[in-house]
Amino acid sequence: MNGKYETHEHDVLIIGAGGAGLRAAIEALTQGARVAVVCKSLLGKAHTVMAEGGIAAAMANVDQADNWRVHFRDTMRGGKLLNNWRMAQIHAQEASDRVRELEQWGALFDRTEDGRILQRAFGGHTFKRLCHVGDRTGLEMIRTLQDRGVQMGFDVYMECAVTRLLKDGERIAGAFAYWRENGRFVVFKAKSVVLATGGIGKAWPITSNSWEYTGDGMALAYEAGADLMDMEFVQFHPTGMVWPPGVQGILVTEAVRGEGGTLRNRSGERFMERYDPRKMELSTRDVVARAIYTEVKEGRGTEHGGAFLDISHKPPEYVKRKLPSMYHQFLELADVDITKGPMEVGPTCHYMMGGVKVEAETAAASVAGLFAAGEAAAGLHGSNRLGGNSLSDLLVFGRIAGLAATEHAKKTAMPTIDAGQVEAAEREMLAPFERKGGESPYTVHADLQDTMQKLVGIFRTEDDLRSAMTQIAKLKERSQRLAVSGSRMFNPGWHLSRDLQAMLTVSEAVTRSALARRESRGAHSRIDYPNLDAAWGKQHNLIANRSGNMELRQTPVIDMPEELKLLVAEEKGAA
Amino acid sequence: MAKSVIIKIKRQANPRETSRWEEFELPYKPAMNVISCLMDIAANPVTRDGKATTPITYDSNCLEEVCGSCAMLINGRARMACSALVDKLEQPIRLEPFSKFPVVRDLAVDRQVLFENLKAVKAWVPIDGTYDLGAGPRMTAEQQEAAYPLSRCISCCCCMEVCPQFNDDTGFVGAATIAQVRLFNTHPTGAALERERLTALMGDGGIQECGYAQNCVEACPKDIPLTRSISEVGGAVMKQAIGDLFRK
Repeated sequence: MNGKYETHEHDVLIIGAGGAGLRAAIEALTQGARVAVVCKSLLGKAHTVMAEGGIAAAMANVDQADNWRVHFRDTMRGGKLLNNWRMAQIHAQEASDRVRELEQWGALFDRTEDGRILQRAFGGHTFKRLCHVGDRTGLEMIRTLQDRGVQMGFDVYMECAVTRLLKDGERIAGAFAYWRENGRFVVFKAKSVVLATGGIGKAWPITSNSWEYTGDGMALAYEAGADLMDMEFVQFHPTGMVWPPGVQGILVTEAVRGEGGTLRNRSGERFMERYDPRKMELSTRDVVARAIYTEVKEGRGTEHGGAFLDISHKPPEYVKRKLPSMYHQFLELADVDITKGPMEVGPTCHYMMGGVKVEAETAAASVAGLFAAGEAAAGLHGSNRLGGNSLSDLLVFGRIAGLAATEHAKKTAMPTIDAGQVEAAEREMLAPFERKGGESPYTVHADLQDTMQKLVGIFRTEDDLRSAMTQIAKLKERSQRLAVSGSRMFNPGWHLSRDLQAMLTVSEAVTRSALARRESRGAHSRIDYPNLDAAWGKQHNLIANRSGNMELRQTPVIDMPEELKLLVAEEKGAA
Repeated sequence: MAKSVIIKIKRQANPRETSRWEEFELPYKPAMNVISCLMDIAANPVTRDGKATTPITYDSNCLEEVCGSCAMLINGRARMACSALVDKLEQPIRLEPFSKFPVVRDLAVDRQVLFENLKAVKAWVPIDGTYDLGAGPRMTAEQQEAAYPLSRCISCCCCMEVCPQFNDDTGFVGAATIAQVRLFNTHPTGAALERERLTALMGDGGIQECGYAQNCVEACPKDIPLTRSISEVGGAVMKQAIGDLFRK
């Protein structure tokens, strides 16, 4: 090493500064660890700020019949029982405490008449359960966690991107990264690493995800030898903007439907009557997404290939008060007044249920010293996530990961950094500059997005997935020939060349897993296998790196204790 | 000829170098905004006169005007690039970095000063780690609604950029920080630090530096009642200062 690289040493290194990363950092600091947070963008700007709807927690402030059991049952049913039951249980039991804690730290939740946290209805939740701050809950959560972290004094390495995890034998030793601004390399030495890197939406062209969502954490874990799980389960949010193109993919919060918004097709028919007459617009995300997709496919869609979502029958003042950010955003970004007319919406790639396989109690991945929380981890949501369960996921498992990472660090000696790994990581990053006349990362990225959109989208078939595998193999070959010009000083093409490797890894994992799962479950919809399959209901797909080759295998779903099985089977309100 | 978009960008390779302008011509697409233009340039960094150049450095994240990253001067006005629609801008569109923050490179500036200011006024709810996880502080819907607009701050720093008093001479903390003082002083438990926050706003660089130009409230993309916050916090600072005088 010889001081060739800027090096920082910490007990716990947290990659990602969204809700999970910040909550993990706060916990690790509280437990006395030396903590650093590394993030690709600026502190306080992570993707979490875009979450609008709320945090699901069975606080029973509005519906007194609510309790963790009902929340657990809703989560398990939403995930079509593929969830890690223990994660779902811990999540339902601890979410309320995490919300109260956030409130203690200053988050300004909307209030009930008697001054407690107000909760609202949301798709798939039996009771009014979402604690919210207008329609900008994510921003408030980040602001609050950031204020708390600033008070506690954590080290944040901003605009810094990790490209490889480093190992000392079989355990984690740290990470290799570069500063986005000047391209210099940096080595982080750490006893524990927490992946809080979010999802993979940028592998699709129409997505609500921010530019940071390139599957980094999952690819890093995979490359370091950790298992990925449930990668076929990609949630498409039913309502993203389909028009105008400059804002394509941007999410229209489910709260619009929660507040009484109606969905109609081009002939004005309220089509949810045909798909879920009981829950109508408040049905689960996959049902609504599929309904819109079917309307469009059968020729009843809007001019730009979506459906109309209308809240303009409510008084303008009501809309502005209940959905202030939505109202403002549409006016600002697209010149559309949602109090005057309908929006044009369609499915947009929104959330990844799959990710790094972790232990429920510790958020530990299958590599010693590696932890994952939030969207980067798999298990809690099973085959489909309920709205509101991701913000609570970040708080509950962010805390658990921070706690367990600190405990691991306390009983572990500082690892040794292997110079060979660091040099290999550097060579890999410099290679695109040395190739002349190779492929442009932008072109390969656009082709990957096109493949994923057309062949691995919301509805899947054997043929499509097989051709996707062929396409991805070709794209992987092309990605070995990426060439980048210019210098290492802030060079988006170079940054993309690395992000692209991560996106290719997760895209292959998604496609492989989707091909294997011959059934439809939750967010995974196979046109050729439209029903649930009992045998597949007992299996997870696992993805692992076997000497550079991606291996798919199955592992049984962990069996639930009898009392929880009974709980899941019970009828509404009985729990 | 196909419609195009002309953009002039003030560029600077690093904090020490002098700035220069580069001009770009992009094919027009419907509903383009300034960020999508910068992305198009990144994918094909060639100037209007056909010279290969480097991609433009800028901060951005959500592209929905929620995160506050992409603030810059657009046709001379401090605003968010993601919500600056090309159709509504006069061409050539001029992009410049904020003028009152150190330039990192091109359109990216260092806004760390805001965090320093927030630290100085203790913009948080004091928790000593022994918090009780029982019911949180009761807050009425009216209190929450009054505080809500203040919590909308996205730390973009537009209010500071446009403030004539925000400069090295005065060391003024700026409107965003003062609004956060008001937010935390109205919070049931945050109010415990009210005195310290107000004290931090006394003296040089404090609230008396405000010249009531009211540019801040005009520039704020989130309509935060900045001038009202300044007068309210100013009143509280004054009251505390007079009180302190009599206590001496």
